[in-house]
Amino acid sequence: MKAFEEKWTAWIDDQLTGRELEEFLASLPDRATAEAEKQSAKKLGSFLREQAVALSNADFFSHQLRERLDRESAPARSARDAVQTGWWTIRRLLWGGITSLAVFALCTVMVLREKTPPSQSQYLTEILTYRVDPTVSPNATISMFQKKDDHVTVLWVEGLQSLPAEYASK
Amino acid sequence: MRAEAPVAQPDVSELDLVKRCQNGDSGAYDELVVRYRTRVFGMIYNMVHNEQDAWDLAQDSFVKAWKSIPRFRGKSSFYTWLYRIVMNVTIDWLRKKQVKAGGTEFDDNVQLREIDPASRTVPRAEALPHQRMERREVRSRIDEAIAQLSPEHRAVILMKEIEDMQYHEIAEALGCSIGTVMSRLFYARKKLQNLLKDVYESV
Repeated sequence: MKAFEEKWTAWIDDQLTGRELEEFLASLPDRATAEAEKQSAKKLGSFLREQAVALSNADFFSHQLRERLDRESAPARSARDAVQTGWWTIRRLLWGGITSLAVFALCTVMVLREKTPPSQSQYLTEILTYRVDPTVSPNATISMFQKKDDHVTVLWVEGLQSLPAEYASK
Repeated sequence: MRAEAPVAQPDVSELDLVKRCQNGDSGAYDELVVRYRTRVFGMIYNMVHNEQDAWDLAQDSFVKAWKSIPRFRGKSSFYTWLYRIVMNVTIDWLRKKQVKAGGTEFDDNVQLREIDPASRTVPRAEALPHQRMERREVRSRIDEAIAQLSPEHRAVILMKEIEDMQYHEIAEALGCSIGTVMSRLFYARKKLQNLLKDVYESV
């Protein structure tokens, strides 16, 4: 349902038709006065159109606008370029940093591996090195190894030319 | 006034120009400016009643339109879209000016009881000796009358009467309903009829 103002406006602009128009006209208390008002409104429209202000120096307007657009585009472009350049620098820095860290980590791992002492060797621990009487076996050595986990002790004899008789008897 | 504004509906070439603008072709934008500069300036001038302000606001509007044109999707015609920008820029400016002035320049609260739909104003003929002076006087009367309308009422009356835009186009440009446009037109017309009848009846 249109308000009176909307119907009046539509009627002034000849946009009201059919039943809506009939109903509207029937609702007017003084049709002649309303018609005069409509003509007056139309005159107002024509009058405003006739008195419309024209743009003088239209070409200068365009020229000024072009200069302004160029001026306003230039800082935006350089800012964009700066951002892009900065981005490349940041990317380079980032890649450089990552590479350095990787190299550092690799070196650290290698150095640590090199330096790590064999922790608790699974092999025997040498606990004694003994030399046999040189008159009997000049190059003979006796070593004793022990493996604690397995509770094993090994006696390693090397360079023994002959086994003394008393050893054999034992 | 309208020599440069033959375009009332969007045509292919206008859409082409818009597409070229969206690809950064400033030459295409120059063509669009040439098409609409006079209408835009005239519209703004009638809103602000000052040539320098109108010039500046028209420039601002075209700059804003250029920056926003990549987002134009073609759902409305280019000139409706442009007018929306023009109206936003101008109405914002008028509102700020009003706030700065600290007063109420416009009177939006025009009630039906204040304006009888069938009211008539007796024409009062004013004969001025010099034609130029007369034109200036007429212009001054129009400016004064329009200045008494709110920015929104100014916008609808100017878009309807001077630009000959349809209700839906005005609604689109102002971001309001068609009913609101028609209602604003009603009050704006009534007010201008009361204020200017003696002028336009005698010209």
